Amino acid sequence: MIIRTVQPQYPLRRWFILGLFMCGMTVLISRAAYLQLWNKDILQEQGDARSIRVVEIPAHRGVITDRNGEQLAMSTPVESIWANPRKALDDAEKLPALAKALDMSIKDLKDLLRGRVSRDFIYLKRHAIPDVVEAVQAIAIKGVSTLSEYKRYYPAAEVTSHIIGFTNIDDQGQEGLELAYNDWLAGESGAKRVLKDRLNRVIENIESIKTPRPGKDLILSIDRRVQYLAYRELAAAVKHHRAKSGSLVMLDINTGEVIAMVGQPSYNPNNRGGLKSQFYRNRALTDVFEPGSTMKPFTIAAGLEYGNFQPHTRIDTAPGYIKVGEHTIRDMHNYGDINVTKVITKSSNVGATKIALSLEPKKYWEALNSFGFGQLTGSGFPGESSGILNSYNTWSDVEIATLSFGYGLSVTPLQLAHAYSVLATGGVMLPVSFIKVSGTVSGKRVLPESTARQVRKMMETVVSSEGTGKRAAVRGYRVIGKTGTVHKSTRGGYSDDRYLSLFAGIAPASDPRYVMVVLIDEPRGNGYFGGVVAAPVFARVMEGAFRILNIAPDNLPAITSPIMANRPDLELDEGFDG
Amino acid sequence: MSTNRKKQATVNSKMHIKHKLFAGYDLWLLDTALLLMCIGLIMVASASISIAAKEYADPLHFFWRQGVALMIGLSFAFVIVKVPLQFWQNISVLLLILAFVMLFLVLVPGIGKEVNGSMRWIQIGPFSLQTSEPVKFCVIAYLAGYIVRHKQTVQTDFAGFVRPIVMLTIISGLLLMQPDFGATVVLFTTALGMLFMGGIPLLRFFAWVSVAFTILLTLAIMSPYRMQRLMSFIDPWKDPFDTGFQLTQALIAFGRGEWLGVGLGSSIQKLFYLPEAHTDFVFSVIAEETGLFGSVFIICLFSFLVWRAFVIGHVAESVEKYFAAYFAYGIGLIIGIQAYINMGVNMGILPTKGLTLPLLSYGGNSLITYCMLIAILLRIEYENRQDTRNIVQKVVVAYA
Repeated sequence: MIIRTVQPQYPLRRWFILGLFMCGMTVLISRAAYLQLWNKDILQEQGDARSIRVVEIPAHRGVITDRNGEQLAMSTPVESIWANPRKALDDAEKLPALAKALDMSIKDLKDLLRGRVSRDFIYLKRHAIPDVVEAVQAIAIKGVSTLSEYKRYYPAAEVTSHIIGFTNIDDQGQEGLELAYNDWLAGESGAKRVLKDRLNRVIENIESIKTPRPGKDLILSIDRRVQYLAYRELAAAVKHHRAKSGSLVMLDINTGEVIAMVGQPSYNPNNRGGLKSQFYRNRALTDVFEPGSTMKPFTIAAGLEYGNFQPHTRIDTAPGYIKVGEHTIRDMHNYGDINVTKVITKSSNVGATKIALSLEPKKYWEALNSFGFGQLTGSGFPGESSGILNSYNTWSDVEIATLSFGYGLSVTPLQLAHAYSVLATGGVMLPVSFIKVSGTVSGKRVLPESTARQVRKMMETVVSSEGTGKRAAVRGYRVIGKTGTVHKSTRGGYSDDRYLSLFAGIAPASDPRYVMVVLIDEPRGNGYFGGVVAAPVFARVMEGAFRILNIAPDNLPAITSPIMANRPDLELDEGFDG
Repeated sequence: MSTNRKKQATVNSKMHIKHKLFAGYDLWLLDTALLLMCIGLIMVASASISIAAKEYADPLHFFWRQGVALMIGLSFAFVIVKVPLQFWQNISVLLLILAFVMLFLVLVPGIGKEVNGSMRWIQIGPFSLQTSEPVKFCVIAYLAGYIVRHKQTVQTDFAGFVRPIVMLTIISGLLLMQPDFGATVVLFTTALGMLFMGGIPLLRFFAWVSVAFTILLTLAIMSPYRMQRLMSFIDPWKDPFDTGFQLTQALIAFGRGEWLGVGLGSSIQKLFYLPEAHTDFVFSVIAEETGLFGSVFIICLFSFLVWRAFVIGHVAESVEKYFAAYFAYGIGLIIGIQAYINMGVNMGILPTKGLTLPLLSYGGNSLITYCMLIAILLRIEYENRQDTRNIVQKVVVAYA
């Protein structure tokens, strides 16, 4: 084989091209070195500006529990869907799928995005359910992402909604105790620096800037079981009597704690869509009414304390009415000459009027004021009303007369219960508390114990077979209380056919533990007397509460001798403990 | 076959050949190419993990596809290194016709598949054929053949120059109709380079280059939108969230890389910040993950490939194997031009256009075509060596 070699024809051309490539290589390497070494700080800064973000770490809001640790409000982590409108609109072909996942029309979605196109962040759906979140994530549309938040959930729903209230979508308390204790419950959000990919997902936590401080838990004085019972019974009564509304308050007199507080109509705080704010009102605290006959025990107490009255002092109520100025005050019947106890038992307006008119107005006012009328209870509940008790300076005789049986002043159900608790405690007023109280609570003495005891003793006759409140009786327990049937004041006077049915009671009588006020507003049909409408609710709730709260009976028929039954002042419960 | 191999083994006994399978082939070239392919496979996997997981729910979606393409490419290469070069010379005109057929077919609606507004693909069963890639092979083979056939006219006659230019213009036109601007530029430049090596008179050559350049410039200026996009690379930070978006993200990748990179797999830019991270912009991800060390290494590997191709071409020329020589020059040119342009684009010194990095970027057609071109180079060198084993050594030493 002959091997010939020839010189290439254009050696310079090859060198020329290789030279060009050499230049190219030099340029590329220099450029790489420039970018990666010389220019790196600026480039990294630009990169960090795009990928490093400070994100908020939502803090867990404190749990609200009842006195036994049952959860009444809790925060659960949820995802919210948000979008960068400009980016989302760029990914137009995926918009219909997104609209479908969000259950919106494509037009609404586009309008929403276009309307806020200049922003970088808009919420598409707050607190979305997991299915929706999953569907949206599956679409993988640009500029749409999710965000962790907490959603408040209320397991007891409408049963506790008036007390607990609710938070808004940003986890801030709006009503009720959620609002009152917002600072206590709310945590402090933390912040961290993270590395995000372009789909806004966190890839790496770089550093913690601030650790979140979770909110503190709140233990309420409410007993959820009693609350349920109260809600059920009140709702049933309001329905049965086709009433406009109703309230029930139950206080523990030893501590001033609210054991149960329910209102009708109520609302489900977990689903507030379309509800008007009137449903949110905690009527037991915000709505005032004229207490009517339930006021009489306080008039009697004032009479015992500041007048010359004793339980057996006789008052002539004949002929069943009394003229005060130009007004006539009437009793249901002509009770004739009765003692002070009977004034309560029979709910005599004339008797009460005579007692009140015999008192010095200032003293009478001071007495009523000391029971808390016209004052806030100290519960700290947002929107609580203080009621109205006019100053004695402005009182006329008629006003004093009507005050004596509960007209011309206004109170809230809680206020009334609070006032009854003074009688129950033996004259000591404790601040009302929605929070579980530990240890003993020091109160303010507003009435001598003997006077309180005397009034209680007189009231016990109300729930006897001859009293107006006999339907408030609880088997096995002695109950004291007072009924009230109030003509509602309307424009131009008192209505003849619109009533408030009331019952305020204390039980057990021998060693008072609880006070309960039941109010049914405008019962229509099936009676309207407090003793008919409100007293049975009291009885049913109190009976259940005793069982739940393990309160020993003080009036067991099997053991109680007839003599004992006739002598209710005997302290019997010690004998029946256990 | 076996006798052939035995003969080679004895022929090359003086050379220190470790691997019997590749005995007689240019191991420097082979190893460089294989190294690039391996780096490519790893980097495609790394750069595409996030997007593959999101789009296909399989993080290794692109890795497997690239792996399959690599296997196909390597099997083609195995065949091609066994095929005498004369075969390609014989069918070089046929290859051109094939190129035209493909370029026409892809523009026919129904046969061509439109993706993102470009008709670049022909679907054949489970495979998608990206016409511009095999066309590169065909055109280089044809041109090498043409220069050999019309050596005299090419070097002296105007017609010998005009004919291939007309042919190239038609092919460029067809490519621009897809449109595939990047492939047009690469192919046209390669062809000019081959004609330049083939001995076109310089004056005529530069006249034509300036004409072609003017035409391209006019095309760009006539479409201000394209012009604007084209020129945004000069200052990508002017509009970093629109026209400059991709480039600024690529530059950030380089900045993050520093000396040794953020580490394999740790790129942030590939996490949806940098579009086309596993295809056109895989070099940026390499620079981010392996730093200046990695990017310079890749630049050097490509430069070495170009140099090696030119050495092989030179040797072929010196033994009067002109078809082989021009083919080798063509291969060196196309690899060099496409790689340099791609890397230049990645680093913001050239306008952005859709060009892959040969052997590295994701894309089966490109990978297979470049495997075939590397195999041709190996074959040329093999044939050179068979004829001129003594001279080869001299020449190689001379250029080394």
